[in-house]
Amino acid sequence: MGVTKEQVESSLKAKLNPSHIEVIDTSGGCGASFVVEIVSEQFEGKRLLERHRIVNAALEEEMKEIHALSIKKAVTPEQWKQQQESNQSNSAA
Amino acid sequence: MSSSLCVTPLQFQPRTPSQSSSSFFHSHVRGTTSATLSLRPLSPLPSTTLSHKLRFQPKLNHSSTTIRCSFALTPELKSTLDKVVSSNKVVLFMKGTKDFPQCGFSNTVVQILKSQNVPFETINILENELLRQGLKEYSSWPTFPQLYIEGEFFGGCDITVEAYQNGQLQELLEKAMCN
Repeated sequence: MGVTKEQVESSLKAKLNPSHIEVIDTSGGCGASFVVEIVSEQFEGKRLLERHRIVNAALEEEMKEIHALSIKKAVTPEQWKQQQESNQSNSAA
Repeated sequence: MSSSLCVTPLQFQPRTPSQSSSSFFHSHVRGTTSATLSLRPLSPLPSTTLSHKLRFQPKLNHSSTTIRCSFALTPELKSTLDKVVSSNKVVLFMKGTKDFPQCGFSNTVVQILKSQNVPFETINILENELLRQGLKEYSSWPTFPQLYIEGEFFGGCDITVEAYQNGQLQELLEKAMCN
């Protein structure tokens, strides 16, 4: 029952070719709840809703077992770079 | 299965503390009426009959992109949903009711909508399994809550939170209320 963090990660990696990915299992062990942070070129020019649809589609099989998927970040490499830089300058200030 | 995780513990709630259950029932019933009223006219059969019938139904030709389990979204349910989302400016399909959300994600969206001071309808998808499955296809969205604004699917919890934080939700709701 449930899916593993590794399964979620490998499906997303295979389908979205992300430059950064972080999957956190928030289910407490049962494998039904995940938080995902993903950076992919495939999000370029897409609205947030469309980006989430892409992630949902990539996890179509897993979603049958996953109860809650929180997509915390679905950004393009460009946006990711900007966010990283602004985070750094914030912490430096 | 996994989808029942959030449901199972809560289903027992109304039964266990017999003294405090009355208030729960009241809010529960209020939420139900709005849902059944809007959904019943087009589907006169009780949901059990419908879901039973479903298994024997021949595959229908759908022009939409839904490929997987295209059985739950019957043409009747689709036209009912079309009516529900277009006759209300803001509709939230959620687990539980406005007054008694039964899932943290649904609760988050309810609280955001309440803070916006806009009228919104909620429909409890836990009360109708056929509706719950059909909606996933209708919205091409695998989870709940599902928020509709002016007849259009807006998003789930994450999207609503993000739009709330960056001000887009307020803007869209204001526009919706003026139309």
